Amino acid sequence: MKKMLLVTAALLLAPILPLVAQSRGATRPAPRMPDGKPDFTGVYQGGTSRPGEWEFQVPGDQPGVPTAATQSVATSQARRDPVPFQPWAREKAQEFLNLRSINDPTSRCLPGPSPRSHSVSLFPIQFVQTPKQIVILYEYFNVFRIIPLDQKSHPDDLEPSFMGHSIGHWEGNTLVVDITGFNDKGWVLSGGVFHSDALHITERYTRTDYDTINYEATIEDKKVLTAPFKTSTTMMLREGTRLREYICPENNEDVLRLEKLLENPELFRRTPTVKPQ
Amino acid sequence: MEINSKLRVGVLLLTISLLGARVEAHHSFGAEYDAEKPITLKGIITKIEWANPHCHIYLDIKETNGTVKNWKFEGYPPNVLARTGFKKDVTLKVGDTLTIFAWQARSGPGLAHAREITLADGKKLYFGPPAGTGEGNAVLP
Repeated sequence: MKKMLLVTAALLLAPILPLVAQSRGATRPAPRMPDGKPDFTGVYQGGTSRPGEWEFQVPGDQPGVPTAATQSVATSQARRDPVPFQPWAREKAQEFLNLRSINDPTSRCLPGPSPRSHSVSLFPIQFVQTPKQIVILYEYFNVFRIIPLDQKSHPDDLEPSFMGHSIGHWEGNTLVVDITGFNDKGWVLSGGVFHSDALHITERYTRTDYDTINYEATIEDKKVLTAPFKTSTTMMLREGTRLREYICPENNEDVLRLEKLLENPELFRRTPTVKPQ
Repeated sequence: MEINSKLRVGVLLLTISLLGARVEAHHSFGAEYDAEKPITLKGIITKIEWANPHCHIYLDIKETNGTVKNWKFEGYPPNVLARTGFKKDVTLKVGDTLTIFAWQARSGPGLAHAREITLADGKKLYFGPPAGTGEGNAVLP
């Protein structure tokens, strides 16, 4: 009887087992371009490690299921080292946090460098690849990066920019991207991690399987930091998701509202419970 | 169910302590809204704005003294709402009855940051992000 039940269960489950395996991405290798290089083509969600379809902003969070995330704080799955700020910069960044990031450039619809966008799970990111270049399209602020793969150095006429100038090359199966040419107006990571025009970022992208890009960025800024630091996240393939328009300044009431709030910051100021180092 | 709920909260708190980086949004939640002032309101939709960087729902809400107050609720931008399951002129219509879980603005009643909405048929959807988005941790890591 027991054996019969097992056989019946196996027969019933057999048709869906390959689907389960596929949805978990366990056995699907990273695709390759005709020239043998890894192919990053696709739409991805950052700040999460779960394969499958697009998921809500907070991993595992579903409407109708009361959780702490519904009613309190949400967190990103991106990891970052402690930021080795110079003392003056640490003080400045801590004050940004004390004011609950009200001065975040994104509240004025200004984007930040790619390590920030890659840790955001709310907006998809699309990779478009040819043998000579990779283009990354960001729904967050509708910005883009063009990464040539056949240039050894940056041009000598770079203007200050929010997303910087990128050049890429392959190290085995890893795409390594060097970014420079930044302005000093963005935050390289959320939570007050501001930067100067000396910002230099080295990114490493590895598509470890069909569903996953491992992303790691080394962030250097000799005007703000005492040493480089790293941040990392996985970016998960989201088949069936498409990038949409996000024209942030359309009706950005927040600029005026936040300026009014800043007239009396004591109403929302936080006091750090641990003294900054 | 209760154990499951406690487990979820425990896992979430563990995640916060291990990773610590708050999810970000277009702007600071905490400068404008008060996470200590959650509120659930039911009313009639008077206006729906599909606009960036925030969509808004306006509800007429009957107060205990019988007067009606119009509240404004801030939420996700149109791209996120569409991906979350909202269809323009289908999911929400002027005149519909709606229940909204939200956090009140520090400026007082009348403005709130919407999170979960419940349609007349009981279906629940997220209209806005969780509390705390965009404000960062209290202390630098």
